[in-house]
Amino acid sequence: MDFWNNLTLGFGVALTPFHLLLAFIGVFLGTVIGVLPGIGPMTGVALLIPLTFGMNPTSAIILLAGIYYGAMYGGSTTSILVNAPGESSSVVTCLDGYEMAKKGRAGPALASAAIGSFVAGTFATLMLMLFGPWVAKIALSFGPPEFFSLMVAALTLVTSLAGRSLVKALLSTLFGLAIATVGIDLQSGVPRYTFGNPELMDGFEFVVVAIGLFALSEVFINLAHMSQAAMERLSIRGSLWLTKEDWKRFTPACIRGTLSGFFVGGIAGAGAAVASFVSYGMEKKVSKHRDELGKGAIEGVAGPESANNSAAGGALIHLLCLGIPGSGTTAILLGALIMLGLQPGPLLFQQQPEFVWGLIASMYIGNVMLLVLNLPLVGMWVKLLDIPLYLLMLFIVLFSFLGVYTMNNSVQDLYLMVGFGVIGYLMKRVDIPAAPIILGMVLGKLMEEKMRQALVISDGNMMIFLNRPISLALLILAVVAITNPYWKPMGRAIRRLLGGNASRA
Amino acid sequence: MNANREDRVASIVAAAFSLAYLVTAFFIPVPPLKQQLGPAAFPKAIGLVMLILSGLYVYRQFRGGVKEDEERAAIIGAEEKIESKADLKTMGFMLAVMVVYAFVFERLGYAISTFLAFMAGVFYLSRRHLVRDTLIAVIVSFVLYYVFMTVLRVNLPAGLLKLLGL
Repeated sequence: MDFWNNLTLGFGVALTPFHLLLAFIGVFLGTVIGVLPGIGPMTGVALLIPLTFGMNPTSAIILLAGIYYGAMYGGSTTSILVNAPGESSSVVTCLDGYEMAKKGRAGPALASAAIGSFVAGTFATLMLMLFGPWVAKIALSFGPPEFFSLMVAALTLVTSLAGRSLVKALLSTLFGLAIATVGIDLQSGVPRYTFGNPELMDGFEFVVVAIGLFALSEVFINLAHMSQAAMERLSIRGSLWLTKEDWKRFTPACIRGTLSGFFVGGIAGAGAAVASFVSYGMEKKVSKHRDELGKGAIEGVAGPESANNSAAGGALIHLLCLGIPGSGTTAILLGALIMLGLQPGPLLFQQQPEFVWGLIASMYIGNVMLLVLNLPLVGMWVKLLDIPLYLLMLFIVLFSFLGVYTMNNSVQDLYLMVGFGVIGYLMKRVDIPAAPIILGMVLGKLMEEKMRQALVISDGNMMIFLNRPISLALLILAVVAITNPYWKPMGRAIRRLLGGNASRA
Repeated sequence: MNANREDRVASIVAAAFSLAYLVTAFFIPVPPLKQQLGPAAFPKAIGLVMLILSGLYVYRQFRGGVKEDEERAAIIGAEEKIESKADLKTMGFMLAVMVVYAFVFERLGYAISTFLAFMAGVFYLSRRHLVRDTLIAVIVSFVLYYVFMTVLRVNLPAGLLKLLGL
């Protein structure tokens, strides 16, 4: 069968010593990034992209994906032991995880987070394997108008889920699109927004923007808002293993988390943080022990931790089969792949099978590595928290400079990176989310290209986006995503209006 | 309130940027060859939408009430806001270090500039473990430089080290 051939091919790629080593380095660094508070997966992946220069895309993605899903594992450790989430998708894990640790049940909490992550990660990889080729086949029938609408839908969906204010999130997305227009327009050869600067002819370098926005701004935030309070660390007492009763409660929560997380990440295309919140909300409604949630229930750890891994894996379906990222971190992965000369999309499964299947196989292997790394060695990761914050921040500055400079040997890139760092910090201060910028920047060029191609097909008629059913459906989805926060007040207003009429009549 | 003032400034900056971006879009030269949707159309559209949105942002800050949906924020897991009281001195110092670091990166070379930038940070942020931190600074600057040059064969700027013949 084709399927088994592909899988054999994949493991053939992933089991070479070099790729095993890369997968290990990836999940190792990912765990470190997940454990360290203040460095999220976005910062981590952006910082480590320069490591992949000169690698072929398959090796690079094995490393970067390892960092990406590894960070999902590591984030839970600090949530449980220190009550400080290592990244945003582990925020909910604090609620019950830390309570469990306070009761002396840190071991089972850590174990259920790791096992839940493993189950969910493996499940998501399995789904990617089963459904990926199928989604890619559907996407192959997409023409430029469909792709344009798909990108519009992806941008609006992600934007509508970012931050508190829709206006701010949309502004951020558009700012990203604006950044993408800088440089020579490939179709007409006209320079745009370069202001005569030769280094801007190729546009802003993706890594410069990403590292500035996520790594350097993190340095400013951490140092300017350094909290003096020492973190209280709970120790791991007793057994790491789950009791029979724990297993009984763990299993259904893990299954629910895995499925809902996959739905949120793999089908709806939202990120891992959203998935963990959705899962916690679900546990609150359906769990048998819902009254214990918030007071140290194992469901509150197992559900969200499964969900965020499942969502992270599911998001790769969008990335690989459609070439459309569903979250900030996958947008950074996409940017990295494009830099390495690979354009993810429906053709990937046909043209680069060793890339896709190699990645899938390495994800199975990586998940096993993570389970081993995270359970018995959890004490080692906690020690990472002993690194003083200022040293950590200085390391980030150093690696940012090193990475960005070695890319083009350009000092101007360094200044630009610092500039974006300041922008990122200021945006954070006024609560404008930065992730949509990356998304807009990565999709901008492609979006414009597809739009122009579509208009060539239709000879300039904009209706082409509405005449085609798939394209129309995607655009409607985009409109729904943007307007849905306003439905409630609008409905209320209409009802009031109607009610007013009725009383008068 | 302070936070509100910051938001107001940000909204005006966003509006000014959008306007500048839009105006510049009209100066993008259009090639003589007739094309479907030339190079300027997409930037113009972005600029226009951005201007409308930032106009809305300004309006909300100065006129309408600022409504933030905390309930929705909790569901989607929006990141926590940072408290607005910032240590601007530290922030300014780190920014200065970065700018100077970029300025001397090629002039002094990777090893020397990195050592100096790292030590500047250490001196400002915490002087409790000077010996240990100095050792770390030497490792990440000089040792890393030689590793890059000899093992990884990645060229980093030598700067002053070249003059010394090292």
